[in-house]
Amino acid sequence: MLEQVHWIPLIPLLASLAILFGGKEGPHSKMPLLGVAAMGWCLLQSSWILFHALTGRYALPYYHTIPWFSYGDYVMTLGVLIDGPAVVMLFVVTLVSFLVQLYSLGYMHGDPRLKRYYAFLSFFTAAMLGLVVSSNLFVFFACWELVGVSSYLLIGFWFEKPGPAYASKKAFITTKLGDLGFFIGLMILYTQAGTLDLSMLAERAKLGIEYLPLEVATAVGICFLIGAAGKSAQVPLFIWLPDAMEGPTPVSALIHAATMVAAGIYLVARTYFIYDAAPLAMGAVAWVGLFTALLAATMAVVAYDIKRVLAFSTISQLGYMMLGLGVYGYTAGLFHLTTHAFFKALLFLGAGSVIHAVHTNDMREMGGLSKRMPATFLTMAIGTLAISGFPFLSGWYSKEAILHAVYLHNPMMWLVALGTAGLTTFYMFRLVYLTFLGQSRDHHRWDHAHESPPVMTVPLWTLAALSIGSGFLLEHEGLFAKLVSFESGHGGGHEAAHAPVWLGAAAVAVFAAGLAAAHRLYGRGDLSLAKSLRERFALAADALEARYYFDDFFLWLVSLSDRLAAAMHWFDDQIVDAIFVDGWALVTRAVAEAHRFFDDFVVDGAVDGVGAVTRDGGGVLHRLVRGQVQEYLMYVALAMCLFTIILTTR
Amino acid sequence: MTLAHYLAVSSGLFLIGLFGALTRRNIIGILMGIELMFNAANLNLVAFNRFLHPDGVAGGAVALFTMAVAAAEIVVGLALVLSIYRTLHTVQAEDISLLKG
Repeated sequence: MLEQVHWIPLIPLLASLAILFGGKEGPHSKMPLLGVAAMGWCLLQSSWILFHALTGRYALPYYHTIPWFSYGDYVMTLGVLIDGPAVVMLFVVTLVSFLVQLYSLGYMHGDPRLKRYYAFLSFFTAAMLGLVVSSNLFVFFACWELVGVSSYLLIGFWFEKPGPAYASKKAFITTKLGDLGFFIGLMILYTQAGTLDLSMLAERAKLGIEYLPLEVATAVGICFLIGAAGKSAQVPLFIWLPDAMEGPTPVSALIHAATMVAAGIYLVARTYFIYDAAPLAMGAVAWVGLFTALLAATMAVVAYDIKRVLAFSTISQLGYMMLGLGVYGYTAGLFHLTTHAFFKALLFLGAGSVIHAVHTNDMREMGGLSKRMPATFLTMAIGTLAISGFPFLSGWYSKEAILHAVYLHNPMMWLVALGTAGLTTFYMFRLVYLTFLGQSRDHHRWDHAHESPPVMTVPLWTLAALSIGSGFLLEHEGLFAKLVSFESGHGGGHEAAHAPVWLGAAAVAVFAAGLAAAHRLYGRGDLSLAKSLRERFALAADALEARYYFDDFFLWLVSLSDRLAAAMHWFDDQIVDAIFVDGWALVTRAVAEAHRFFDDFVVDGAVDGVGAVTRDGGGVLHRLVRGQVQEYLMYVALAMCLFTIILTTR
Repeated sequence: MTLAHYLAVSSGLFLIGLFGALTRRNIIGILMGIELMFNAANLNLVAFNRFLHPDGVAGGAVALFTMAVAAAEIVVGLALVLSIYRTLHTVQAEDISLLKG
């Protein structure tokens, strides 16, 4: 099975092509089943691989390449590199994709472009899986771009509406900004290290500083971080993610849990040896993660769109993962990536279930839905507990691991991260209270709400089970750490050290505080206290609702570049053209005039002069020839006399 | 009788022939002048042969050739005169200016 691992990305790719070009489009198209089946097979294969890797029956990493093309001495390879993180990612991506595809059968039921939707969904997963297994950063980058394209297609799936069309463009362009950083990093890496093969690069990094100089590692690390910030929605390139909520909700689940935002984290993890060699880049990862986690958590507090809350929560949790990786907590960061995939997919699919029932995203129009949709409520509650770090649920294990690593690295950062965890609890319970508990605020919608069909609730229950159990299962006997670990050559080794016992207690206390605050503000049915707080801190709340004006900042940047372009155009038109084009034309014309003068009067003059002299000479000479034979004879005689005189007097 | 005497006679003969060729109006006269110049040259040839190379015969031989050529030339010349007369009805050289440029 491991030897056939290259089929895992290929099967969804083939499936997507088959769905795209085969079958009939329409709300009752049967082609989606093909996508689900393909994904099911991939899930089986990757589960098999995961199981055998966990039980130690496979020797990892598995590395196999074939030459793709070569230029000069360099051979570009196409291949797979399956190490611990790749195995975990394969499982997570295929699982979430499978569940999302299953769920979409219910959610997208009756959509006129069902076939197109499933083709894109499969393609999205194929691109992400290709990214996960690729052994070569060049191929990685190609898949990375394909992920970007598919996200563009899926976010803008309802392209006839202006919102999704705008959001898809925004997502594409913003992530492209990050991709530019990634690409520059790739070029630096290639020119300095001479290869883009991950295992070769890792070996070089292991050999030490001569093979991967500090400044190169730092530059490449920062560039890759920019790329990761674009894809994984870190500060300041996170602006696309809240807008990406315009896409279908299962797509949001896919983007947030498996196929897109995980790519950035995975990039940092895949090239961790570079960061390990460059403490500055590593620090940048940690700080970017910390800021992202905090800023996004605060923004989530004021959002009323159920999907936006989850979007901000994703950004915040991605920040957490970055933070974990940045403080040498390799295992912790990837562990959080894994558990987060489960409960975030669960939360999104749950939110989708709610939206499917009440046809609105606004939490102010919900409330009391637990009575109408008990399955959705229960699973969402499990997801909320998991993400908030309720003890012994999956999120608790991974968050604990990150906080642990952060504390050993820098207690100040730990404090901020802890506060963020409290905010997470607060806004997640705020969501649950506003949506499911209390009194209904829109009776019409409440009356029409109904539980989703089993094809939607089964994925929810599956994910809920994983949200509860995955943490324990993977933490149990250090299974995950056995599979996913990184031997640092430098400042690492924190993960083995011991932190104070009260660290865990503090996390639980913060969880309790967040829960209490959410209950006080939103749990009692009347929102007057929340409103009054909103008014008292209007300035801060406005800033939060405007997402710290990052969007305005980027719009300002765009308009600035617009104006810059206008100025450049003016400069080009008025100065460059005037001097170098029109001016040059003037000079050329003057020179041409001079040349013409010379040609007319000197060259042609010489030609005409020769003609004129010949003609005039002929005119004079022809008079001598009168046709008189005796005259000619006389000339001969005279010439003879002349020659005789010359010859004799010499 | 020295070479100079012969050359003097030959020069006189040549000048008479030249004068005649230049001044006669009749083409026949011009041809006759030319014949005189031929013979002046022949006289030169045999004189030089006689005085400078008494053993050789080249001068006399060339003189004989020249006479033959002159005879042929006068045949052609007279034929041309006849032809001219038939077309232009005159043998006066100054009336014939077909070569005028």
